Amino acid sequence: MQVSGGSRNATESLDELSALYVLTDRLYRAKSNQEAFEAGLDAIRDGLGCRRASLLLFDGAGVMRFVASRGLSEGYRKAIEGHSPWVVGERNPDPIFVSHIAETNEPARVKDMVASEGIVGLAFIPLTVQGEVVGKFMTYYGRRHSFASHEVNLATTIARQIGFHLERTRAEEARRVAEEELRESEQQFRLMSEHAPVMIWTCDASGKCTNLNRMLREFWGVETDKVPTFNWHPTIHPDDAADIGARMMQALTTQSAVTVQGRYRNCKGQYRVLLTTARPHFSANGMFRGLIGVNVDVTERDQAEMAMRHSEERFRSAVEAAPSGMVMTNEDGRIVLVNLHAEALFGYGREEMVGQPIEMLVPDRSRSSHPVFRRGYGSLPLARPMGAGRDLYARRKDGREVPVEIGLSPIQTSEGLMALASVVDISERRRSEAHRELLMDELNHRVKNTLAVVQGIAHQTFRGTEATDAHAAFEGRLMALSAAHNILTQTSWEHASLDQLVCDSLQIQSAFSNRVSTTGPAILLQPNQALSLALAFHELLTNAVKYGALSNEAGTISVEWFRTDKPKPRLKLVWSELGGPTVSSPARRGFGSRLLERGLAADLEAEVALEFQPQGLVCRIDAPLAAGVLAQ
Amino acid sequence: MTTLSGKRVLIVEDEALIAMLAEDFLIELGATVIGPATSINDAIALISTQEIDAAVLDLNIRGERSDRVADALRLRGIPIVCATGYGQGAADFARGSTIIAKPYSKEKLDDSLRLALSDVPSGIQPVGRVN
Repeated sequence: MQVSGGSRNATESLDELSALYVLTDRLYRAKSNQEAFEAGLDAIRDGLGCRRASLLLFDGAGVMRFVASRGLSEGYRKAIEGHSPWVVGERNPDPIFVSHIAETNEPARVKDMVASEGIVGLAFIPLTVQGEVVGKFMTYYGRRHSFASHEVNLATTIARQIGFHLERTRAEEARRVAEEELRESEQQFRLMSEHAPVMIWTCDASGKCTNLNRMLREFWGVETDKVPTFNWHPTIHPDDAADIGARMMQALTTQSAVTVQGRYRNCKGQYRVLLTTARPHFSANGMFRGLIGVNVDVTERDQAEMAMRHSEERFRSAVEAAPSGMVMTNEDGRIVLVNLHAEALFGYGREEMVGQPIEMLVPDRSRSSHPVFRRGYGSLPLARPMGAGRDLYARRKDGREVPVEIGLSPIQTSEGLMALASVVDISERRRSEAHRELLMDELNHRVKNTLAVVQGIAHQTFRGTEATDAHAAFEGRLMALSAAHNILTQTSWEHASLDQLVCDSLQIQSAFSNRVSTTGPAILLQPNQALSLALAFHELLTNAVKYGALSNEAGTISVEWFRTDKPKPRLKLVWSELGGPTVSSPARRGFGSRLLERGLAADLEAEVALEFQPQGLVCRIDAPLAAGVLAQ
Repeated sequence: MTTLSGKRVLIVEDEALIAMLAEDFLIELGATVIGPATSINDAIALISTQEIDAAVLDLNIRGERSDRVADALRLRGIPIVCATGYGQGAADFARGSTIIAKPYSKEKLDDSLRLALSDVPSGIQPVGRVN
């Protein structure tokens, strides 16, 4: 093999072209980097006529290492490995041609190693990928070697070819790795989706099913191999099918996300409510590849919501139909619900009340204190009347105040604790109460006036006559009747307490009050019973003062009564006198006796017994009591 | 203790028989009777012209409450005994004056009038306006 110093002939040119052609062809066919490197070394050998050559690349740590060589000893390769004029990433460095190693500034150790391998001249040709140095190839000569320009050009061309090859294989490697990663990530997604506790599906750009995860396959009862031909559309409830179909189609055509809810028939033939959320997915180059969707079974939630809605509707219609004004407020005291009656009561339309503070319905004078009461209720929410013992008023839109009664009930709702107020306008009741009182007063006035007139007539009748005693007796009886009226007036003529009746009747003669004792349970008498008994007590007392226990200084009277409930409620009263003058049965029955024995007996349907015992008069009254007014 | 002897007592009562009874009671008790006035206007006329020590005033005169008479009496510092058939309703009318329930006995009238006369305040405290 001849080494030229500069002049060249046609054969040499042909050899170079041929070497390049072969190199290009071999690089194109190379199945591995090693094949490519061997092809590169062959091209150097055949094109440059250089017997020894090597190819080195930076490894991952940036150390220049041999990947292929010709005619170099193993000892030399080991010793020189790592030696490089360039570092990783250096851009477009120039090749270095050394005619004689002794003429360089290399360290003596390197010079010695090169010399001991029998090398004198050598060249460093950089290999670059996209302008960055990734390695080099070397040519070695046993003597001083002057590099001709065609040698430099050829070496550079070979280096570029190898560089292109490296670039191509690196790009292919990168793509292969990327594809592998993509495959792995898709595999992971499938695996994850397959076992996910929700229903996951994919479809292609036309909407055809491409994948159903296990949960969704089980829902529809589809075998894995039937997935590509499965059509889910017929499983949609007929009422929902049109809407869902249209919205899915729209998502596919506009390549956008969609959320739909509807009923789907599962493999057991039951309809379940599925909430579907689907997103479009695109390939790396932006091509629409279809939708990925997730279905969540919301049947129970949907049913619960439906039940809640129904229950709320029922509550609202119950409130609406309530016979009083209903106003519901939330924890902030704002009105959330009113009914028709409330609109009429307050004079506001419901749209004017809802959302406003409840204080809008409270009179001005109570408005500032109302929130305090309201919060008090919030801390102890019980069903109870509002404002116990106070007169409550509501303020109407026209500013008028209406007397009201308000019942409060706490209502626990999904939006917190509400207070439901039932408001009743009691103006009418107040008016009729006032009217009733007026009538009662008028009646009393007339009755009393009439008694006074009777008193006047008696006065004029007895005036100037000798009948002074008779006049006094008459007036006493009239006063007793009037006293009983006074007691009845206090209870609006509903009933009278026996205890009070006895005391008032006997107080007419208050001088004797410490000689009269009364004992008995609380008993309420009906008006007619009270009037009759009042007259009876008056007669007994008058008799006692004139002839009986009170006619001397020592006698006493005891009035005792009790009630028996079986078989029917009855009043048993005993008037007994003691310590008066010895009593004998009178020859003639006076008015008093007749009133007691006949009048009282008839009026009270009572059994009345007058016993003229020597030690004192005893009067026993045994009268039925009305069941309704037994006791207070 | 005060007696009614020589006291000039106005009777305001629209019911003739009751007025006569009151008149008889007062005369028996030694008092001099002014009236009886049977209408509100009569009563007010008497109050403005007569010397009066006390008055027995019916709460209701011919269907009208006799507040104007009570006001005129109070304006002159004349003690009042309110005679009434009304129950508790008379209390707000009486405004602290003695109340006596109809029908009343001579003794009751005597007690009430003497009580009213002994309660006369030293100074006159006008309460209303005389029309």
